[in-house]
Amino acid sequence: MDFALNEEQLMFQETTRQFLESKGDLTLPRDYMNGNKQVLEDLWNGLGSLGFMGINISETYGGLGLGALSLVPILEEMGRSVVPGPYPETVAFTAPLLEAYGSVEQKQKYLPEIAAGHRKFSLALLEENGELSPADIQLKAEQRGNDYILQGKKLLVPYADIVDTLIVPVRTGGTSQGEYGISLILVDCKQPNISKQELRSMDETRKLFNVEFHDVAVPSTQLLGAENEGWAILDQGLNYVNAAFASTMVGGIERVVEMSTEYAKTRQQFGQPIGRFQAVKHRIVDMKLALESSRSLSYYASWAAENNAEELAEAVSMARSFISEAYIKAAGANIQNHGGMGFTWEFDCHLFLKRARSLGNHLGSPEYHREKVAKELGWSDVVPEMMML
Amino acid sequence: MDFAYTESELAFQQELRAWLEENLPEGWLEGKRVVPENEDQKAVFLRDWQRKLAEGGWAGISWPKEYGGRGATLMEEVIYEEEMARVKAPPVLNIIGTAMVGPTILQIGTDYQKERYIPKILNGEEIWCQGYSEPNAGSDLAAIQTRAVKKGDKWVINGQKIWTSYAHLADRCFLLARTENTGKKHEGITAFLVDMHQEGVETRTIRSINDRRDFNEMFFNDAIAYDEDIVGEVNQGWKTSLTLLSHERVGVARQTFRLQKQFEELVELAQLLKKNGRPLAADPLVRQNLAIFRAKTKALLFNYYRHLTNTIRAGRPGPEGSMDKLASSELGQEMLAYAMSLQGAAGTLWKEDAFVDQNWQQEYLRSFAYTIEGGTSEIQKNIVAERILGLPKDIKY
Repeated sequence: MDFALNEEQLMFQETTRQFLESKGDLTLPRDYMNGNKQVLEDLWNGLGSLGFMGINISETYGGLGLGALSLVPILEEMGRSVVPGPYPETVAFTAPLLEAYGSVEQKQKYLPEIAAGHRKFSLALLEENGELSPADIQLKAEQRGNDYILQGKKLLVPYADIVDTLIVPVRTGGTSQGEYGISLILVDCKQPNISKQELRSMDETRKLFNVEFHDVAVPSTQLLGAENEGWAILDQGLNYVNAAFASTMVGGIERVVEMSTEYAKTRQQFGQPIGRFQAVKHRIVDMKLALESSRSLSYYASWAAENNAEELAEAVSMARSFISEAYIKAAGANIQNHGGMGFTWEFDCHLFLKRARSLGNHLGSPEYHREKVAKELGWSDVVPEMMML
Repeated sequence: MDFAYTESELAFQQELRAWLEENLPEGWLEGKRVVPENEDQKAVFLRDWQRKLAEGGWAGISWPKEYGGRGATLMEEVIYEEEMARVKAPPVLNIIGTAMVGPTILQIGTDYQKERYIPKILNGEEIWCQGYSEPNAGSDLAAIQTRAVKKGDKWVINGQKIWTSYAHLADRCFLLARTENTGKKHEGITAFLVDMHQEGVETRTIRSINDRRDFNEMFFNDAIAYDEDIVGEVNQGWKTSLTLLSHERVGVARQTFRLQKQFEELVELAQLLKKNGRPLAADPLVRQNLAIFRAKTKALLFNYYRHLTNTIRAGRPGPEGSMDKLASSELGQEMLAYAMSLQGAAGTLWKEDAFVDQNWQQEYLRSFAYTIEGGTSEIQKNIVAERILGLPKDIKY
């Protein structure tokens, strides 16, 4: 029995924390919110030189060849500092899918660049009705010569302005509703006919875009995995990236517990620290309990991801449903614990609330994930519909 | 990260499973799990089970081999709790003796005490109870007022204890009494091993909201103990009581594993009960709630494993046990309340008229004690706040 991070993973945690502190900790998301895009470049380069962009990339391609559990400490630290950028999308989603399904050319082209911190990915998934089921993927990719021609629109794409490559689920065949006929295409963004419309989001640390493809020609060598068989790959990738988001959220919860604890020790009212009042201190204990349960479920999800365990989907959905709600609640309680100061833009409390909200329904609401748990455990035969908009 | 048991742990598990299959009461594994309600029959039933455990070598597994135990490892103790929860084994009548008093006597008791008490604890010949709480000393345990005064070679004990499990069946009591009044609550307490079969000791059962009589009041009117009955030193009873608590190595293992089982039963209940001809489990709202419980139940288990890992790495348990206790007691209450809701209007029918299984109603009512016994949730939250988070201490008088 050993259910904890190992020494190497604890070292990753410490190194990441030192690195992020040296880069300004919570001033990172603040600078990014204020329009400083250089923040991301510095972060990416730094993480690349620490080797943290290639944790789960094989050594052949310049990585460390480790598994999903070794990402956990890094993701938690990023969540603590509300770090902007598509790290989960690039490292937790794209890297393992390329490793498992990429062609040799794709691996050679992309994996070393990811590991070096020189390439960012995002996922262009949602379409008009904002739900995730095979029937909701309708963006057409017609084969013309050696190209796929993409025509259509994807919504709420994170960081579309700065990523180098988008993974785009498209329809290449089959009926218009089924799993069969969906393919994943790697679309390099430096090409004409892709237009991006920035959306204002409450969480300004995660920029969202609508992306339109106007007859975008992509070489058919950019197909990831077999044609028409992309749904299962996508599903697997979503499990990986949701496990990763769970870990970043755990980092965020940990931070708000610390903020509340510190504030309750120092803030004085009625001649004593407010942390002496049980109404306050017990609320912080509730936050702490939610943190520990969240962390346990996130470890389990990443353990299942690392081992491709049979219970992967259930473990991930359990973690996401629980942790999304726990983070939103803890971030709200943190504002209450800080009183009026917690309501100011100047204090950092709102960064966590907004991040909690923007991730809370991202790639599956808590209700969606619970329905998925029910399905995985055979309580029903109803396929969950993802409600995202 | 690794959940797997080692080969020797698996062998231990197999041995226990095989023994349980042979020795559990007739029909128990098939679901006929009713402890007799009649107090006399119940006493016989529990004593029988205690004796069987002892004969099989399963009564005090963490005890050293020379005293009849197995010298079980921490993980073996955890597996023991897991297996007992899995089969919902009957309660252990002498749990205070085997889990707390015995190990404490072995650690700090005199040779006389070891010789006199140890063999009879394990085989269940002498049942023990624990005289701690008093009417005016609940959460504030150190405020006890029961007094022991030395007269000649005797200690004369006067006072009242309450919430003592199985006192009416007990032969001996591990009793905390005040032997000196220094003005400081934690000083001047002494731990005694008191004979329950004497004129000065009277017990009275308390009827609980679940119509059970497992708790008692105890009245000491000039009850007698001797120097040889003192555990640890005179006036150092608080320290002795902490030694006693430190033998709870596995924390809330049993409750944690029991809740895993209870969750499975809750799902079965939702599949069994129908609304408009369909199982409740097919109702989206019910499924949502079940999935919430699933996540909380698993979180409890993995929290426990993480804390266990800490205990193994550090060689002793930390204050995290309070978090496990808080979470398990509150989750237990929530799930049992939900089981009641699922049963609809017939949910309050109980005992022989119970809708599905009378254990749901029984345990639902019992669950209101979860957040009170063994340290209330409020006390546990103070412990987490003060010892883990370092928040300011409550004002204490």
